[in-house]
Amino acid sequence: MSLDEAGLDRMQRQLQIFASELNQVMARERERREEAEGALQELKNSYQTMVRTLAMVCEMKDNYTRHHLDRTYQYATALTRRVAPELVEDVRVGYGYLLHDIGKIGIPDAVLNKPGPLDDDEWKVMRTHPLIGYQLVTGIKFLGSAMEVIRSHHERWDGRGYPMGIAGEDIYLPARIFAIIDTFDAMTSDRPYRKGRTVAVAMEEIEKNGGTQFDPDLVDAFIKLCTDLKLVGSDASGLTVVR
Amino acid sequence: MQRRRVLVVDDDDLTLDILRTILDLEEFDVVTARDGEEALGFLAADRFDIVVLDVMMPGLDGFAVCRRIKGDPQTADVPVILLTAKDRREDIEAGHEAGAEAYLTKPFSPLALIETLNRFGLGRKRS
Repeated sequence: MSLDEAGLDRMQRQLQIFASELNQVMARERERREEAEGALQELKNSYQTMVRTLAMVCEMKDNYTRHHLDRTYQYATALTRRVAPELVEDVRVGYGYLLHDIGKIGIPDAVLNKPGPLDDDEWKVMRTHPLIGYQLVTGIKFLGSAMEVIRSHHERWDGRGYPMGIAGEDIYLPARIFAIIDTFDAMTSDRPYRKGRTVAVAMEEIEKNGGTQFDPDLVDAFIKLCTDLKLVGSDASGLTVVR
Repeated sequence: MQRRRVLVVDDDDLTLDILRTILDLEEFDVVTARDGEEALGFLAADRFDIVVLDVMMPGLDGFAVCRRIKGDPQTADVPVILLTAKDRREDIEAGHEAGAEAYLTKPFSPLALIETLNRFGLGRKRS
């Protein structure tokens, strides 16, 4: 096609319209994208708040576990970062750590806060909490894999744990991680009927149970984490920030 | 959802290219014709959802093509959008007399074209 002067002029006016409409469309798209991103962020924040609220309700009910939640969440996240960094990106894993004991809502106070060791029947009741928790959150779609942490954090590497008695790598990795952290925190925390043990004693106990109660590779990584963080000789229950 | 078919008639290659690009983006199947005779041939052979029609073309002009479309019971219900540099009042009236459903002037606004397609229920976001 050859363009004479009138043709050039027509083309120029056509292009001006295109340019101006392109700007309009792009501005509209940008606005829409910002709105969508804002809504998504808001939704994520709501999830975060909801999970934390749920977890806090649980913590309030359980006198023993004051600050247990913060500590275990942070230790578990630190260990996860070392052994499976890609899982740290998955918020659902974090949700699982925060909500691991959500099922304790269903445990009677007389058992949950008994000022002394539990008898056999009481232990039976206590051991229902992973399944109660699992059932509570089933159907909350966005929690996804968090449910596996809730259900499986009392499973043992050798298959002698509960509620399902699964073993080895059949146990969801974050649940295996959390089992170590949970035990460590329980041992180093004070209970109404006994003082918390020292970090060194707790580490020794965890190490001894590698390959039976715990995933031996994770135990190695955990010991190294404690060493790197110079936890020995410190009061682990006082540490709440681990990055 | 079935894609909508549009017939675009213009003797100017650049205009055809521009319209094809826009209508592609709007997810139409686009068929192009360079003159009125060719357009009527396509219309006789195939079903189209809408026609975008230039007026000033060699041979049959757009008004004549439009009258033929509207005069044939096979094609009378296919909406016709005239898209032309002829922007005087009597041109627009001639367009409506020829039976065209819409009249857009060149240089044309792509947004106005899309809006017109929407008006005929042919927009991308049909229910």
